[in-house]
Amino acid sequence: MTELIERIGKTSMDSTATFRDILSFAFTILARMFQKKTYSSAMKMVLVNQIYFTSVQILPLFTAISIIFGSLLIGIVFQIIKNMGLAEYLGRILMGLVVTELSPFITVLLIALRSSSAINAEIAVMKVNKELRTLDTFNIDVIDYLFMPRIMNGVVSVVLLSALFSILALTSGMLFSKLIFGMSFNVYTNVLLKSADFYDIVISLIKCCTFGFFITLIPIRSGLHASYDLTSIPVAVLHGMVNVFIAIVLIEVLSLILISI
Amino acid sequence: MLDKELSDFTANKKQTLGLISMDAPLISNLDVWVNIALIKQYHENLPKKTAKNLTLHYLQRYRMEYIADKRNSALTHKERFIVMLLRAAMVKDSIIVLDRPFTIIPDVQDDRFIYDALQLISDSFKECHIFDYMWFKDRYGIINVEKS
Repeated sequence: MTELIERIGKTSMDSTATFRDILSFAFTILARMFQKKTYSSAMKMVLVNQIYFTSVQILPLFTAISIIFGSLLIGIVFQIIKNMGLAEYLGRILMGLVVTELSPFITVLLIALRSSSAINAEIAVMKVNKELRTLDTFNIDVIDYLFMPRIMNGVVSVVLLSALFSILALTSGMLFSKLIFGMSFNVYTNVLLKSADFYDIVISLIKCCTFGFFITLIPIRSGLHASYDLTSIPVAVLHGMVNVFIAIVLIEVLSLILISI
Repeated sequence: MLDKELSDFTANKKQTLGLISMDAPLISNLDVWVNIALIKQYHENLPKKTAKNLTLHYLQRYRMEYIADKRNSALTHKERFIVMLLRAAMVKDSIIVLDRPFTIIPDVQDDRFIYDALQLISDSFKECHIFDYMWFKDRYGIINVEKS
């Protein structure tokens, strides 16, 4: 019994320490974001490459998933709305469901699976190979050169890809609105524009930025905690990805609370 | 002992240190030219194109421009040494420190390759210091250790 309580206590303390460490790292990164010296030619080159690998390379797959998944979901939602006689709330439900909830969530899951794991492994490998030490030897700040482009890329990519998902899903909704409600393109567009709430879009934007920030920051921090053994790499990636998914759930819950206020 | 001497020597020279050592490897996910150009791009904010051209100019001195787009794992020992040397020389007012160079180029028997390589970029650094074990003195043509 005592052992169990000790274990619970130790886990709680470790989790609190991890959470505090992540927040501290986050504040350091945020402070650097607004410093001019962070943005060297080298950093900008890395940023462009990161945006290409995260947002541009995934475009075909992401577009296909957005159209297929978005269409299916929109179709199901429309059918439910019709069956429940809630046609007058169509616009609000679409904007609230697709723009504020679905787009950021699906986007962040895809990017977390693809990019967060890659970043985590990359930083851990660089730590094991002493490449981080190389950068320090040559007075290259790892935060400016390595971390900042990846984190900024996370924010930019989640925002842009989430917007793309919303556009594609809402566009596919046009087809279902015609099939299920007999709605014309003009009426559908009118319904959407009238339902577009500035507050929803701001919440969605803040949510995307927060998602993008933490799904890159957490893997970087986890990669840095790798030791100099090769076997520490998969452990670092495992811990990093678990923390990423916990962060996604936490941010989602916090955003729901914010919306309900 | 050697590590301590090296550490003491480099302690106050961080701003101008151009270290060539197995403890400062090339960045494995960057091409050769990026590894070299990174120093100028980061510290002097040199645009990408200018930095790349500068790097290719230096690689041409060794007739090694063909390695510019290769990664670390695709390099031979000598090629890797040259890349590390050029990277070190990119530091402004560089003090090049070679830490046990024969661990980087194990297939080289004596110091001729090292000195020839340094000669080709002698205009790019201020000083050069070599740290190595005493039992390699024959490779450097050193007879009397005290005099050297």
